[in-house]
Amino acid sequence: MSAKTRTADVIIVGAGIVGNSAAYYLRKKGLSCIVLEEKMIGDGGSCRNGGGVRQSGRDPREFGLAAYAVKHIWPYLKDELGIDVEYRQTGYLVCGYNEDHYQSIASRVDTAASFGVEMKMLRGDAIKDICPYVSEHVTCAGWTPSDGVSNPMRATLAYYIRARELGAQFITGEKAVRINKIRGRARQVVTESGNVYEGDKILVAAGYYGRPLLKTVGLYVPLQKKLNEMIVTEPAPHMFDHMIGGMSGFYGQQTVHGSFVFGSPSGREYTFFEQDSTETTAVTTSFIAGSIGIDIPAVKSLKVVRTWGGWVDINLDGVPVLGTVEEVPGLLVVIGSSAHGFGPGPAVGLCMAHLAADEPSPVDISKLHYDRFDYLNKQPRYQSASNGGALIR
Amino acid sequence: MRRYHLVVIGAGPAGLSAAIEAAKHGMKVGVFDENARPGGQLFKQIHKFFGSKEHKAKIRGFNIGNELLKEAEQLGVDVHLNSVVMGIYDPLHITVAEDDHITSYAGDNILVATGASENMIPFEGWTLPGVIGAGAAQTLMNLHGVKPGDNILMVGSGNVGLVVSFQLLQAGCHVKAIIDAAPRVGGYGVHAAKVARTGVPFYLSHTIVKAEGNEKVERVTIGQVDSHWQVIPGTEKEFDVDTICLAVGLSPMSQLTRIAGCKMVDRGGLVPETDEYGQTSVDGIFAAGDVAGIEEASSAMIGGRIAALAAAKRSGFVTEDEFETEYQNQHASLMKLRKGMFSHENKGRTDLVKTDEGYPLSMSLLKNGYIAEDEIGEYPGVGRTKKVGVHPVIECTQNIPCNPCQDACKFGCIEVGETITSLPVVKEGSKCVNCGMCVASCSGQAIFLVDEEAEEGFATITLPYEFLPLPEKGDKGTALDRSGKAICDAEVTQVRTSGAFDHTALLTMKVPAEMANRARFFQKREGVR
Amino acid sequence: MAGICDRSKDIGPFVPQADDDLIICRCEEITKGEIRKAVHMGLWTMTEVKRMIRPGMGLCQGQTCSKNVKRIIAQELGVSPAELEESTARPPVRPLEMEVLGNEVEEL
Repeated sequence: MSAKTRTADVIIVGAGIVGNSAAYYLRKKGLSCIVLEEKMIGDGGSCRNGGGVRQSGRDPREFGLAAYAVKHIWPYLKDELGIDVEYRQTGYLVCGYNEDHYQSIASRVDTAASFGVEMKMLRGDAIKDICPYVSEHVTCAGWTPSDGVSNPMRATLAYYIRARELGAQFITGEKAVRINKIRGRARQVVTESGNVYEGDKILVAAGYYGRPLLKTVGLYVPLQKKLNEMIVTEPAPHMFDHMIGGMSGFYGQQTVHGSFVFGSPSGREYTFFEQDSTETTAVTTSFIAGSIGIDIPAVKSLKVVRTWGGWVDINLDGVPVLGTVEEVPGLLVVIGSSAHGFGPGPAVGLCMAHLAADEPSPVDISKLHYDRFDYLNKQPRYQSASNGGALIR
Repeated sequence: MRRYHLVVIGAGPAGLSAAIEAAKHGMKVGVFDENARPGGQLFKQIHKFFGSKEHKAKIRGFNIGNELLKEAEQLGVDVHLNSVVMGIYDPLHITVAEDDHITSYAGDNILVATGASENMIPFEGWTLPGVIGAGAAQTLMNLHGVKPGDNILMVGSGNVGLVVSFQLLQAGCHVKAIIDAAPRVGGYGVHAAKVARTGVPFYLSHTIVKAEGNEKVERVTIGQVDSHWQVIPGTEKEFDVDTICLAVGLSPMSQLTRIAGCKMVDRGGLVPETDEYGQTSVDGIFAAGDVAGIEEASSAMIGGRIAALAAAKRSGFVTEDEFETEYQNQHASLMKLRKGMFSHENKGRTDLVKTDEGYPLSMSLLKNGYIAEDEIGEYPGVGRTKKVGVHPVIECTQNIPCNPCQDACKFGCIEVGETITSLPVVKEGSKCVNCGMCVASCSGQAIFLVDEEAEEGFATITLPYEFLPLPEKGDKGTALDRSGKAICDAEVTQVRTSGAFDHTALLTMKVPAEMANRARFFQKREGVR
Repeated sequence: MAGICDRSKDIGPFVPQADDDLIICRCEEITKGEIRKAVHMGLWTMTEVKRMIRPGMGLCQGQTCSKNVKRIIAQELGVSPAELEESTARPPVRPLEMEVLGNEVEEL
């Protein structure tokens, strides 16, 4: 294929929930865009997650984004897109098993309150009132009624379907390998095939795969690559509608379809980094099945029909890098969602569309800018006794 | 983790053969199968197999299964039954579900020999109860002793469709018709002929229009298709059936090789890409049998042995030289099977008009399932000249890999020659002692002993008979011709059974002399002795 | 589809067919028409179609229907079925109770 240059107002790298929703909102604003995707639509984490749409438990720096999505986007998305994304604002129950967990949940309650989101601490029978299926080991729980669940695959693809209908151009099988700066501004995306895509703005929203691309304009994002895995059961009669999770790390939901999806960390997630694909591992899937059987005994006789995995781009400080980058004008970045990027995804896409149109972001994302990692380029300072030997950020 | 030199997944013909071969070379082998019984499809195969002696020809499939199993056990192979391999994980680990738990095993080599599953074709009503795979029907009948239905339509005229149709007849079902969208019968002509002569009609270039019924299949409509596979209006026919058997091909059960990351190719179903030894793109993972490409059980057994040899070489259990010698033997054996009009390169061809020897192919056999009377004299097993006394008539007219008839005749009447796909020749002037061994040994049930002048005005015909209850001497009935049409009265003059015949009875019937070359099946008249 | 694929390419309009209500995926009860419509919405891979409307996501994980689903998608796109990539095969190969999957026993 001979190399050619195509142009649009905005070039987006990555057809996940952020890339697709950004494309959708850009088209609504009348801006043209081309979305480049190495694999297929929604191949990465956007379609590979538990579908939780939660505000609770979030870092204050990104709480606002999640809250904005829950307040202004998710409840209206089915009507907006004309496709049922199976969003249900049915609450999120996070289970705790000991006093440490109680303390952690209490601090989450405080954070939520500071953003005006109601989160309740539950103990004893109050927990069973919400979910009678949790095990006896659950001694405390946090309950956030305004959280909920969606179907990540349908949500990600629905944005694509409507963005495409509105004229966004999606090109799959096109791997972006370099960003070219022209006169100091990021303007071109060069692909493995040699094609060049040029635009006034470039949005990189490609999960972990954004890292090598950002390096081509001198940006370094401190990511770790982790393999998260999930199990999916056969459909079962309706049991509960809310998202459920535990301080042990498990999370999951009963889908509209009736099947359950569950994930849980086995502690081995970081050890599979050299694996090429996202194939699941015997250790983790077995661990998830075993631990869910203990946490929610009522589902343990259900049959697991498949397991799947996905790469998670874990950022050093646990929250993503979002927005413009002072050093590289013309560039917009979404990277390092750290395993909780799906729920805020549409809001992130909306913010990026605004920024690409040179409009202010509807949500304050200033604390998530790339510039916060400036210190990485300096030698880490070590302070021994006073803070337990931690790095100073 | 328990480690084997070779982990074999699937205890079918390929898997068991591989396990035996590997164990013979000193490898510690673990075989895993999800079924309660080993043998894969072999234990459903109640018919006699084709090939030559080295391929266990004329032995019934389930007996081959028993032989393999016994051999594997004697060689110390661990056979894990009711053990479902859930996945293959890096580096060559498998996770197996057994009873109430899972266990992981490691293999220095892994052979995937998981076989295939049946294809389904969607048509109006295909989800009604009563639409089943032909293999499923076989499982019901031959493993569980359950009759799949009373009135049956078979879709597909490949060997599976033909063999299962015959077995349905044996089980007492009424096979209303065999249909196929292709213009030619896909399976061996001999399999078609033994079904056709019982009176089952063939409809080639026909497809299912719809199945109907109140909560289950009660009726089916078929129609003739044009060259674009579209039903020609006005050609529809209806049959009252309670069961529709689909024998429309197989899909390799290749999920495990996909999970393991083997490079796959689409050959009308995903199969792992392998070299000639069964090695996939993942070092140490081999594939053999249907999962590596749909073939029949005899080839699968050789494929399994070859893969096991390659694994043995890879792990240093055989030297390069030993491997080369043994591989050449197995390869030669495989090549004997992969000849003739049903070989890989000729599969699905509709332009063949002659046998390898230059005899014209019976067009009636390809279109109707039986050889026309004006065609039959062409073939070297039949001939046009009238013979004196009892003599074999071999209605074997296609190049299929099979030669037990040659060994069966101790008097050298029958010759196939070195190439086992050649048509058998009844040698002029040879002496037939009416022992019947050739009749019983023919896996295609295509050999008859005919005496055109057994007594004044009457001929006798001895035919292979595999239906119960067996008729008895003196039974009166009707003789059917090759198309299954009743042509004359017939009387049973002899019914021979013997251990050497392996459950193929030899029924001799007396018919008017002029019917000697037409009458090919006996139908007992109910209540008449 | 393998290689670079511009999803704006015109594949023609969705034209209803007489057998659109034929069930293709028995486990999830997905019809031919639903699959064809999904293609016309821009879902051009087996995986995308599966993720949106579920053919091949049931108990048999597509062992029964994937060939037919593939053929329908390919036909709608005007390509050969072999050009379409199958969706990922995932363990467990057979449905397995959670309590069994979670009960790993070491055999010595």
